[in-house]
Amino acid sequence: MEIWIIFSKLIIILFIGFSYVHSETGNLAWSILLILLYISMNIPLYLVRMEKIKLCIHLGSFILICYSIQEVNPLFLLLLPMNFYEVSAAFFEKRWPLLLVGLLPLFFMEGNQAVYGLTALFSFLVFFMTGRYTERLTTYENKLDKMRLDMQRLSKSLNENQEYVRQSEYTYRLEERNRISQEIHDSIGHSMTGALIQMEAAKTLMAIDQAKAAELLQNAINISKEGIEDIRITLKNMKPPTEQMGLQRLKLQLEEFSIQHQLRMPFVYKGNIDLITPIQWKIITENITEALTNSLKYSGATEISIDIHVLNKLVRVEVRDNGSGIGSGKVVKGLGIVGMEERTASIKGTIIVDGTNGFSVTTLLPIV
Amino acid sequence: MNVLEIKNLTKKFGDFIAVDNMSLAVQEGEIFGFLGSNGAGKSTTINMIAGLLQTNGGEIKILDKNIASHSKLAKMNIGIVPQDLAIYEDMTAYENVRFFAGLYGLRGAELKERVEEALVFVGLLDKQKSLPKDFSGGMKRRLNIACAIAHRPKLIIMDEPTVGIDPQSRNYILTSVRKLNEMGCTVIYTSHYMEEVEEICSRIAIMDHGKVIAEGTKEQLKAIITDTRDIWVEVKNTENLEEAALKEIKGVNSISIEENVIKINSQSEVNNLNHIIQFFISRLIEIRSLQEQAPNLETVFLTLTGRNLRD
Repeated sequence: MEIWIIFSKLIIILFIGFSYVHSETGNLAWSILLILLYISMNIPLYLVRMEKIKLCIHLGSFILICYSIQEVNPLFLLLLPMNFYEVSAAFFEKRWPLLLVGLLPLFFMEGNQAVYGLTALFSFLVFFMTGRYTERLTTYENKLDKMRLDMQRLSKSLNENQEYVRQSEYTYRLEERNRISQEIHDSIGHSMTGALIQMEAAKTLMAIDQAKAAELLQNAINISKEGIEDIRITLKNMKPPTEQMGLQRLKLQLEEFSIQHQLRMPFVYKGNIDLITPIQWKIITENITEALTNSLKYSGATEISIDIHVLNKLVRVEVRDNGSGIGSGKVVKGLGIVGMEERTASIKGTIIVDGTNGFSVTTLLPIV
Repeated sequence: MNVLEIKNLTKKFGDFIAVDNMSLAVQEGEIFGFLGSNGAGKSTTINMIAGLLQTNGGEIKILDKNIASHSKLAKMNIGIVPQDLAIYEDMTAYENVRFFAGLYGLRGAELKERVEEALVFVGLLDKQKSLPKDFSGGMKRRLNIACAIAHRPKLIIMDEPTVGIDPQSRNYILTSVRKLNEMGCTVIYTSHYMEEVEEICSRIAIMDHGKVIAEGTKEQLKAIITDTRDIWVEVKNTENLEEAALKEIKGVNSISIEENVIKINSQSEVNNLNHIIQFFISRLIEIRSLQEQAPNLETVFLTLTGRNLRD
């Protein structure tokens, strides 16, 4: 803002200078001194920070102008309005009365009225316009800064959350590993040790008392058998059912996608989900992901419904969006669809792509 | 023996893939149905089998011979009844059949005999001197069938032969399809009328978007969807009903009761209807109505594709 005001002041000074040179009056030295004084007062005006000093400088340049008007040339009056506005703007809210005050000298001066009027108006315009727009700019800049800060804060917390999720996943895994090792230790470790002791004893007794040794060996065999059974049970209990793995993973993935892209994503499954094998889950998940990406890219849909239906001898997975579809019904296959087809064909399934009612990709997988 | 064998057949129209890597085999003596909605690729496939359309990949074999290298043999053994009538309106019925049979190289007495045989078969012998333009839609269709069978092909392909004709002609055509089959012809029958296909076809391929999405006998196709059926019994009152005893009947999976309707879910392959009826009679429960809710091919199509056959 300051720079504009300085420029307008400079313009006025130049104007005064020119008209002065043209009028060819004396006192050239004086006027130059006064102008230089004015300049040297008005430049620091924008360098100091304290309001009081500013006011003093304004006062000084005021007196200087008044003196110049009296002693040297009435033309110096033209410098007055700008200083006046600058001082008064700090004290008064309303602007238009200030303009009137600025125009007051018109009635007391003789000659040059037009020039003064023009200058007063021009200064008014420059001052208040730059004032207003600078203010607006500052507000925007402040807002922007605030938003930037907010964004930084949010992305930081997001990162932290992701880190937290990773961390807790890791922790869970560690806990799980801990549990497994504990379980192995408890069930298998003990029986192994037991069996070992019996066998060592049998080895020692072998030469002396064969019957006893055989008995100990039988013990060891029994303990080992139990141990194997234990291992089997432990593993069976630990291994999560495949349907849970597949379904949970898929649900999680859909939820993430739904939040990320602000889409409604109803998910329905019917029938005996247990029948879906892990490899089928893998392909189902991949196909769903691909279909979702397609819908997001091309359809402009607001809702994508996912439907898994386990029939008697077939798994049917449909991803249907409510977007634009393909008017002619004639789907042109891109790489994505071909990829899905190949994937699905690898386990003897089929893909149906339909664009007549929204866009839908249906995966049909046989249950063997 | 495979009368027709299709391997990885593909047909593109520009970017649009009308037939998409299709494979299927039709064995001798079958009535094989192509079931699919409009635009599923049925007619395109047939036109390629008939040699009317170039393929964009894959191969078609008729009687174990590739049609690309044995086109004459293929053509001699195929009779086609196209979707759009292919008869000359200003030639008599007899002349029409004679013309088409003549194209297959039949001459003289043999030609005459075969033409008459074909006309007898479709029941148009008494109209042999009439012009087809005076015929009804059904009669034109029958004449067209006569044109296709006069040279005694091993494989007859009928593309939507019952579209837009009266019920009587329709029944006539369905009957003659069966008769042809009994005489040793293998028939490929396309339709988007599920009932027809279900009625006459021994094996069916469900087609959608240029692909065969399911294939098998109608029982096999239905079994894809479910191996149970619902039997709904509406009774006067349910007071004496012993649910536990009803569940004991062989094949019954579950029972639900809504007001006076008892819904029995049972295994499809167990025929227990007699036992169920006996159950109600022996307990003096009056049966008002009884209906079976089993899936039909329409349900199969709907469940597999998510769309109706006639969409």
